[in-house]
Amino acid sequence: MSERTEQNTHSLRDEKQSQGCPSALELRGVRKTFRTADGPFDAVAGIDLSVGAGEIVAFLGPNGAGKTTSIDMMLGLTQPTAGLISVLGKSPREAVEAGEISAVLQTGGLLRDLTVRETVTAIAALHGVKDRIDEVMERTNIVALARRKVSKCSGGEQQRLKFALALLPDPKLLILDEPTAGMDVAARHAFWDTMREDALAGRTVLFATHYLEEAQDFAERTVLIGAGRVLADGPTTTLREMTGGRVVSALLPPQLPIQPALEALGTLPEVIDIHTKGNRVSVTGPASDAAALMLLRELGATDLEISAPTLETAFMALTETK
Amino acid sequence: MNATYVRIELFRQSRDVMNLMFAVLMPVAMYVLFGNMFGQGSETFGNGNVKFYIMVSMAAYGSAVATTAIAGTAATEAMLGWGRQIALTPMKPAGFVACKIVVAMVVSSASALAVFLTGAATGARADEPWLWVASYAITVVGSGVFALYGMAAGLAFKSETAIGIASSGMVFFAFFGNVFMPLSGVLLDIAKFTPMYGFVGLARYPLTEGYLANDTGASDSWGLLMANLVAWILIFAGLALWAVRRSQARK
Repeated sequence: MSERTEQNTHSLRDEKQSQGCPSALELRGVRKTFRTADGPFDAVAGIDLSVGAGEIVAFLGPNGAGKTTSIDMMLGLTQPTAGLISVLGKSPREAVEAGEISAVLQTGGLLRDLTVRETVTAIAALHGVKDRIDEVMERTNIVALARRKVSKCSGGEQQRLKFALALLPDPKLLILDEPTAGMDVAARHAFWDTMREDALAGRTVLFATHYLEEAQDFAERTVLIGAGRVLADGPTTTLREMTGGRVVSALLPPQLPIQPALEALGTLPEVIDIHTKGNRVSVTGPASDAAALMLLRELGATDLEISAPTLETAFMALTETK
Repeated sequence: MNATYVRIELFRQSRDVMNLMFAVLMPVAMYVLFGNMFGQGSETFGNGNVKFYIMVSMAAYGSAVATTAIAGTAATEAMLGWGRQIALTPMKPAGFVACKIVVAMVVSSASALAVFLTGAATGARADEPWLWVASYAITVVGSGVFALYGMAAGLAFKSETAIGIASSGMVFFAFFGNVFMPLSGVLLDIAKFTPMYGFVGLARYPLTEGYLANDTGASDSWGLLMANLVAWILIFAGLALWAVRRSQARK
């Protein structure tokens, strides 16, 4: 498993280099160590990453994987303990000052007692782009909220406002740290629709998420990170293989002896894991069709469920093989 | 420094009516109280009278508390993550500090004006009109030092209570800075090293020409007062910049 992951990473990198794709973001051996009461803690334990111009990349990992710390370093909000970061050939802070990188921060806040328009105006003034205020407010659909206090805006509305702030400098590289956290499904889709239109304008986008679904729907490439390291890096479509396939589960008939049934299931190709809970057996692997057929036809199982891999299973699969 | 940002920030502060009332009315109330406490407020002192002395002292105290409180709001902003938002713009920490100081000084100029107007209406007297202008100008400009102090204290401890503590600390600085009661002896020797001593001494300078209000007839040179002020500007500015940078990292 880990070998395949490595190969993916390498082949992808070679491809990039052969295309001569200009790099929007480069991380080389980046580490961030925090001092804690229990001794030093590596929030980011050595990340190498290269994002080409125009790519949409998902930065996928569970909470505490080091996503936000990495993003903070890309934006120059935190200095790495070791390693190099370059954004469009500049240091992160230079890129921020040039308006070439911008972000929707997860914990980055808004002032509750400003109106939406005041907030946009204040940040626009700092970027020296007051002429872009109306365009950006229209594009992010917050014109109707202009006179509303930030404290009276819903979570989704505040997120659109933060997105507007990020678009003000017309950045080449846009970073989104869990941009849809706290949104309902409709708001989530509306947000990503806007995002996709925007990305077409030649922007490079890197977004952090802990929803596998979001990575699958919106990113061509996914970087899976955990415990401060890159666990897998490749096209999102191959993520399923990287992460160990689907889970097929069904109820075995009560009279059926369990052990021979499990042995039969074990003969299926590419099975990664089989386990039982009472009469329910779960088979994990990429060959879900074969598992389903065997369960229904040969074993007479009922109540079949097939589920796509969750981040948790993906994560377990990748960390167990390391 | 960014004019639009300062304007929006001023609008925002002006909506916080309670805070503003406190900043403007408290020093007026203190002047009225202290100005009449000593009974002989109309007695001649320096180039004016005792009431003028008390008026300048209270205006200096009030404007310093106002700048501390206004600049301390940077702590609340940092807690809301606004500092990180600002860190994604070309504005540098020094620019953020400068904007806060200007906003704080606009509020302190209103606070000092209220005290000076009350003083003019209730018998504060100076020999020449320019003494009023000079005292007022020094009070407002000098109060900027305490914006640095408020920001440093607020951001370093990063909590609502920090702002309260910073403002309360001003009472301590004011007492040991020779602002409320004329000090003498050892207390006066200590006072010369505290943050408000140079500021209030300079604000009173047009009136007193450095002479102290105790009975010793001693006086401070303006050089000593300036040295005190400049030293504290450097200390507070260094702390404020350090605190702003630190607050931009995620906690």
